[in-house]
Amino acid sequence: MTKTYLLTRPEHDDTMHYLSNWSKGTIDAAKKAGIKVLDLNREKATKKEVEGRLKDLSPILVVLNGHGDENTVTGHQNEPIIIYGENEKLLKSKIVYAISCQSAKVLGQKSVDAGAISYNGYNDDFVFFYEPNMISKPLNDKTAQMFLEPSKIFIETLIKGNTVEEALKRAKDKLRSNINRLLVSSEADANMVRYLLWDLNHFVSRGNLNATI
Amino acid sequence: MSEKISEDIKKLVIARLETLPADKKISIGSFGDYSKTELIASVNKGDKVGKKIIEIELEFLRALKEGIVQ
Repeated sequence: MTKTYLLTRPEHDDTMHYLSNWSKGTIDAAKKAGIKVLDLNREKATKKEVEGRLKDLSPILVVLNGHGDENTVTGHQNEPIIIYGENEKLLKSKIVYAISCQSAKVLGQKSVDAGAISYNGYNDDFVFFYEPNMISKPLNDKTAQMFLEPSKIFIETLIKGNTVEEALKRAKDKLRSNINRLLVSSEADANMVRYLLWDLNHFVSRGNLNATI
Repeated sequence: MSEKISEDIKKLVIARLETLPADKKISIGSFGDYSKTELIASVNKGDKVGKKIIEIELEFLRALKEGIVQ
């Protein structure tokens, strides 16, 4: 049976533009691995579209790029698409990664309680630096890369069939490696270390760490 | 006392922010995107973004103390 990967990629502000572009590369990785991809980009990243795909096509891997809070992950134009107490049950039997603020704090555990295999994300705000003059070419932005490449590594490690635990380890190893590199750079860049450390400390997994897609 | 510490921390955080590259912005989730100047203004005002930046700095200082970051 073909596995399915659902991802949301709203692009309505600079943060979403960067997250969308940095997760786009995982589409090709999934296709190469024989995984069917449901890419809900821009205005398709709505609650209605997400709920429909989750119900009808049962993706095993769900990646949500969006803003959020401890109970919610949003989509296009900040529409809440997964909401604790309303539709987190739709994540049942899925491995989820939410690249959004705070959602692992409450929604993550509640999703696991409702049957999600694993919920991965951030239990506080997710922060990253970027270079505004690179906004038209976000994948060439070396500053943003330090913060966003680890997320891509997390997804690609899962796509390759590794466990959630291994994906988390590789993503965090990359963050640590970036921290170490910055510590010996110029003072200006070295000051970004505290923000990488913040993302490292608040990147958490709920549910089954041994799960694979 | 806590107000005094808070002011000291503010000064420390602003001193750190002053050395950040001026040509970069930071995305702080739902709060939005901020330049170095805007971050400093937020810390001075003590608004939600300023408090978040202070929280990040305090967590970093704890990590230094615990030897997590050399």
